[in-house]
Amino acid sequence: MRRFAAWIVACAITAACIPGAAPGPARIYAPLSPAEPSIDLPNRDGSLKFGVIGDFGTGGRGQYELAEQMAALRSRFPFELMLTVGDNIYGSERPRELVRKFETPYKELLDAGVKFYASLGNHDSREQRLYKHFNMDGRLYYSFKAPAQDIRFFALESSYLEPAQLEWLKKELADSKEAWKIPYFHHPLYSSGGRHGSDIPRRRVLEPLFIEHGVSVVLTGHDHVYERVQPQHGIVYFVVGSSGQLRRGNLNRRTGITAAGNDTEQVFLAAEIAGDEMYFNAVSRSGRIVDSGIIERRRPE
Amino acid sequence: MMAAAARIFRLRRAATAAALALALSGCAHAGVGPESRHEAPGTEGNAAFLARVDEYMALHGAAKQSLPPVPPDPAAEQIATRQRALARLIEQGRAKAGPGDVFTPGVRASFRTRLLRALSGPEGAELRGSIMDENPGRIQLRINGRYPDSVPLSTMPYQILAVLPPLPEELEYRFLGTRLVLLDAHAHLVVDYIDDALPK
Repeated sequence: MRRFAAWIVACAITAACIPGAAPGPARIYAPLSPAEPSIDLPNRDGSLKFGVIGDFGTGGRGQYELAEQMAALRSRFPFELMLTVGDNIYGSERPRELVRKFETPYKELLDAGVKFYASLGNHDSREQRLYKHFNMDGRLYYSFKAPAQDIRFFALESSYLEPAQLEWLKKELADSKEAWKIPYFHHPLYSSGGRHGSDIPRRRVLEPLFIEHGVSVVLTGHDHVYERVQPQHGIVYFVVGSSGQLRRGNLNRRTGITAAGNDTEQVFLAAEIAGDEMYFNAVSRSGRIVDSGIIERRRPE
Repeated sequence: MMAAAARIFRLRRAATAAALALALSGCAHAGVGPESRHEAPGTEGNAAFLARVDEYMALHGAAKQSLPPVPPDPAAEQIATRQRALARLIEQGRAKAGPGDVFTPGVRASFRTRLLRALSGPEGAELRGSIMDENPGRIQLRINGRYPDSVPLSTMPYQILAVLPPLPEELEYRFLGTRLVLLDAHAHLVVDYIDDALPK
């Protein structure tokens, strides 16, 4: 009822709403209410709309309130899949805990058919690869083609970077013909988080592959902050590690690599890829856009 | 049944070792320098260790075979129940197991040497930092005991895994403090461990 009332108000303000019409370009706005997030994404037909969350499965109020923002946003920006960058469940993973830490907060999204594609973090048991809602199909690392646009996602298991996984990744990246190649995993190669920071040994192993194979964007978590890192060798790295957990004040502003960051609220990333452009909004628990922008796909050199 | 499980495991291990050799040969550009090639598995202790791993995997395989197969799209309750049932069967099958059953004294010495070498190189400090990142430290462990649910898994960098013998997918190496643990990741069970595996 509250949303309907807010819609009426929005129509009165814009005079552009037609009852029953499909959602149009979402380039508004002031928030319709404190609980409803504003977004600045083109919302085009045929684009891939997706979200990213990380370090979220606490069962706490921050996770739940952020999940409400995600559901509210989806009513106007119908993303169809959600990537997780690990630490999906903290502590016990008994069935009732999975309900409390995952199925309940994201029920609205799950009921709407949003598919979660998980990667695992250091707090996640291996059994999560079997959990139906994570769509890992029994695998610790995997890739899949997005349901729209020319995109392949690569979910890695970064806490256990064994030679077999690296060999698999090399082959997958080489064989991938998609224009967008987007790896996502838990441990950040670049991060200004004070607790963990950049992982140099992993960077040495993974970054050359990403550069060689035309990766444009990398999504990670682990540090309980949000950060968009300035392009490194043409690749934009994100840390989306505060979708439940949050370490207030933990962003080290002196690293010199931060393009944008937030360490005061829980955050998730909403993104849209259309052609050679990726639009993104980082949306906070209170519905603020704490970061936004457009990333142009890297072209082969 | 156990012999067949052991045979399948040996084939998988051979494939993993081949992948490892391939990965190391192609990794110079990834910053894994020439010194890493000298640290490839196949050194002293490997055969003895892998023979013990074979024995463990035969037991694991037999236990798994005796359980109902995992249904497609299992419910969380089914996953949890099966994991604990698997662990119980394995524990029953090696009730007298203790430290050193898999990591024998010779294997321990060999692994400590390899880890010392890996952490003594120019990347050593960074590797140690990576391993110790959110490393839970020394906690009470019991052979055949459940790896504690509340304890996060340590990072295992590529550069460390590349110097240790490859394991089947059911097993993982993890550090708890400076202790190297052989973890049955499917049964969530501690198979064995080496105290002070990391050099001080």
